[in-house]
Amino acid sequence: MKRRLFVASSLSALGLTACGPVKDSLTNGPFRKVLLSTEKLNHGVIGTHGLAREYRDADVDRNFRVNGLDTPSDATYASLAKGGFREYRLIVDGLAERPQKLSLAELRAAGDRTQITRHDCVEGWSAIGKWRGIPLATVLAMAQPKANARYCVFHCFDIDQSGQHYYESLDLHEAAHPQTVLALDLNDKPLDDDHGAPVRLKIPTQLGYKSAKWVQRIELVANFAPIGGGSGGYWEDQGYEWYAGI
Amino acid sequence: MTSEASAETFSGGRAEVTGKRVYRHDVVARTTHWLWTLAMLVLLMSGLQIFNAAPYLDASDKSNPARRVLSFDAHKADGRPVGTTTLFGHSFTTTHLFGYTDDGMGQEDARAFPAWATLPGEQDLADGRRWHLLFAWALFVAWAAYLISAGIRGKLRDLVMRPADFAKLLPMQLYYLRLRKEPPQHGTYNPLQKLTYNVVLFVMFPLIIITGLALSPGVDSALPWLTAVLGGRQFARTWHFTLMALLLGYFATHIMLVVTTGMWNNMRSMITGWFVLGEHDGVGP
Repeated sequence: MKRRLFVASSLSALGLTACGPVKDSLTNGPFRKVLLSTEKLNHGVIGTHGLAREYRDADVDRNFRVNGLDTPSDATYASLAKGGFREYRLIVDGLAERPQKLSLAELRAAGDRTQITRHDCVEGWSAIGKWRGIPLATVLAMAQPKANARYCVFHCFDIDQSGQHYYESLDLHEAAHPQTVLALDLNDKPLDDDHGAPVRLKIPTQLGYKSAKWVQRIELVANFAPIGGGSGGYWEDQGYEWYAGI
Repeated sequence: MTSEASAETFSGGRAEVTGKRVYRHDVVARTTHWLWTLAMLVLLMSGLQIFNAAPYLDASDKSNPARRVLSFDAHKADGRPVGTTTLFGHSFTTTHLFGYTDDGMGQEDARAFPAWATLPGEQDLADGRRWHLLFAWALFVAWAAYLISAGIRGKLRDLVMRPADFAKLLPMQLYYLRLRKEPPQHGTYNPLQKLTYNVVLFVMFPLIIITGLALSPGVDSALPWLTAVLGGRQFARTWHFTLMALLLGYFATHIMLVVTTGMWNNMRSMITGWFVLGEHDGVGP
């Protein structure tokens, strides 16, 4: 009986040790295509419908948790921040009839929307913030997207340790959602450096990593494959879903 | 050839049928059984991988440490790493198992669940999500296919709990506990089996899918009442995890009964469909 127990436990230990390579080859082998296939299905089934819940002032997290990376180390960003972002211009170009270069004052004059929404991080935590800014649709309308424009790509100031630029993208349907905003304020104050100053995207209908911080330029494109790693965003290039509604 | 499996009653006259082969599980029942077994295993392991990215559960909408139900942490005591598990405010040292454990790279690190229990093994939230979201569909498809097929074949009638079954629960439990000689009269499934399968099929499976969907900001926007009913997004995450733990408990009981009520006979019937009637009839898994 003891011998049987010994054999059984040795076999289970062996099984568990062998599991690592098996799991790895399943994840990265030919099966990977199947793993990636669910995203289109989920996008089709869930999509972007309705409005994210909006909360009361009392629900707001005053110390809103910083998602992703903190202040960019980029030199241009540092000098803009030093000047209080007076020299900052948001560029909207690409497949646009009227490319734009907008100062913060021009942005504030273009539209005003405040929303208290929940930020759902892909890691699992949630925080509630009060965001004030301009609906993205308003800014895109100023640039007049050409008929072949399908996506807007957000190029950000942030660069990671390996030199990769942070970027994100949305299709024009998600961009037109009334709660998709370019936020300038968080909790009644201009965004601080860690939270994406001076302009960040806020899209409460998708997970937090879609809400790109430190937006420098919005490029209208027909196809995002030539940009970055080709998957439509910094995190997407690392295996996360482009459709982050789930 | 299939025998009249659905007409069997297991109480009385059992001696005459002992040794008789009956075709107990049709091909859809067997296929969906193994598909959701695989799906539950992948969902469990990839779910623990996803959980590791935020190893705490709150009974609230947004994250709120004041409403924390469960958390896993690592800290140093006398220069040595310690892993702790905190449930409803009670902390337990769980070094090497939970909180500070196997990282899948031959070392130990601060992580809630060990690499051997997660998919992928190493910390990899992106791929954990890919596995989880694919096999969530597999579970849903297996569940729906089984119910549709069982409905068409009229098997749901044998499965659905009826008022008369409730009165038989206690006698059946007594029989299991060997405090009663004969099980109460019943059909294909005994009353305790029926209750268990009804809870798993009609309550737990739908709920674990629904609580999972409630974590999705897209579903939340489309159906805001769903998350609200569950007490908010973090609460939905807590329910989702709790249902996983309950299903794990069901799985343990199920395996125990498979093993103790004629393991090879049970396994054969779930692989080939054929079951040999004998002394364990009516008390199966």
